Amino acid sequence: MLCHNKCKIVFRLEQRCATCTPNSISYVRLFSNASLASPSYLCPGDKLCSAENCIPGTGVYLRHGYVYSSLAGYVLKKNEGEKLPVISVVRETEVQLLPDVGAIVTCKVTSINPRFAKVHILYVGSTPLKDRFRGTIRKEDVRATEKDKVETYKSFRPGDIVLAKVISLGDVQSNYLLTTAENELGVVVAHSGAGAQMVPINWCEMQCPRTHSKEFRKVARVQPEYLQA
Amino acid sequence: MPTDTKRVRGPEASQSPSLFLCKPATVLPSRGPRADGRQRDQVDVRPVFVRCGLVSQAKGSAYIEAGNTKLMCCVYGPRETERKDETDMKCGRLIADMRFAPFSCRERGSWIQGSQEKDLSLMLHESLQPAVCLHKYPRSQIEVNVMVLENSGSILAHAVTCASLALADAGIEMYDLVLGCSMRQDGTSYMVDPSYVEESGCSDNQGGLTVAFLPSLNQISGLQSDGEMAEETLTAGVRTCIEGCYKLYPVIQQALSKAVRRAAPPPPES
Repeated sequence: MLCHNKCKIVFRLEQRCATCTPNSISYVRLFSNASLASPSYLCPGDKLCSAENCIPGTGVYLRHGYVYSSLAGYVLKKNEGEKLPVISVVRETEVQLLPDVGAIVTCKVTSINPRFAKVHILYVGSTPLKDRFRGTIRKEDVRATEKDKVETYKSFRPGDIVLAKVISLGDVQSNYLLTTAENELGVVVAHSGAGAQMVPINWCEMQCPRTHSKEFRKVARVQPEYLQA
Repeated sequence: MPTDTKRVRGPEASQSPSLFLCKPATVLPSRGPRADGRQRDQVDVRPVFVRCGLVSQAKGSAYIEAGNTKLMCCVYGPRETERKDETDMKCGRLIADMRFAPFSCRERGSWIQGSQEKDLSLMLHESLQPAVCLHKYPRSQIEVNVMVLENSGSILAHAVTCASLALADAGIEMYDLVLGCSMRQDGTSYMVDPSYVEESGCSDNQGGLTVAFLPSLNQISGLQSDGEMAEETLTAGVRTCIEGCYKLYPVIQQALSKAVRRAAPPPPES
């Protein structure tokens, strides 16, 4: 329908501005109706629905009892068995994630120190990060037992790929704090001095297939379903 | 009396500095239609061409053309912060930077940032910050870089629009789009979306105003004014600029929809 303003722009829905004064020209706003069957493209700030009809998911925010979109993308309504559907706005299939507390991250060791190991966080869960974030694994967070007898040189080496969990975002001075103090966390891929990829023997040793020398690492016990044949 | 070598004595008779101002080459008439055919005293913004996603290396990018004004914006992030403050732990940081290409103005500029660019960058930052959901990006920084390719008037307004489009294209969560509109008061009449010649008049009772507006939330995030303006003209001017922003809104939404469609196909219906 045509807007009744001087401009001849066509709008889908016409709405009178709630705050416009009687003397001024009415402001016409475009409302994107997200309950249409066809996929509707949303812009940040589009009103989706009332907060009573749905639960807000990702990519949306609540304001004055209504759910608004905060991303430019498609609206996704999921009925997860609860009474209200979960509404979220997605842009691509993979969401841009930041390392959050409790997330399992894949990182690469860059340097080691008797007190901690510095790592670069590469993946959060299974989504790769576009930019590398830095993290720290302290000596007391390497394993759960005998924390004071840990030697970082015998747990990690620079270049190892490690599965770790984020315990905190860290304070002003430090980076993300990570821990490998679980059976499933620790070194996944490591290269020996000879350059070959090592095979894990037990939870604290890995063996090089070429030279048959054993090296100490804090090895992760990867679940069998994640191992490829 | 010994001569005072440390002081520089001014001239004996002083003169007004306005004598030494160079007059503009063309003095625009303050009546009648504007140079490019648009009307005075009406919200007549230049038609706008917008495109998202032109820079492949950046996370998000946008390009805007309004008349002869051409601007592009690139967004990078969220990246890890370089400098660490107390405030960075809870929410992210937005870094806005606006530069002029040396070939953008009438006179050739330099690649080093001048004071005008620093001012504009600060105003751009102030206009964009309320709109971005920074609390969702702790310990990160989002960089917004605007490059002016041709300066033909009202660049701050178009820079704000371009930057918010690029942020939306990058998938950064925002509360709302930020649209910018500017106007110029010339005596008793006003002109919306002035061109470079209209902006640089230096007669009395002239003032300019730029407004950054969030249309869905109906809030103003940035207001910049210079020159001489009475209080009533200022408030009327703000309303005029808001109307100009509403005129831009459908074009921006359409451009975003196209960009979203181009970036990814719609998810399968569950």
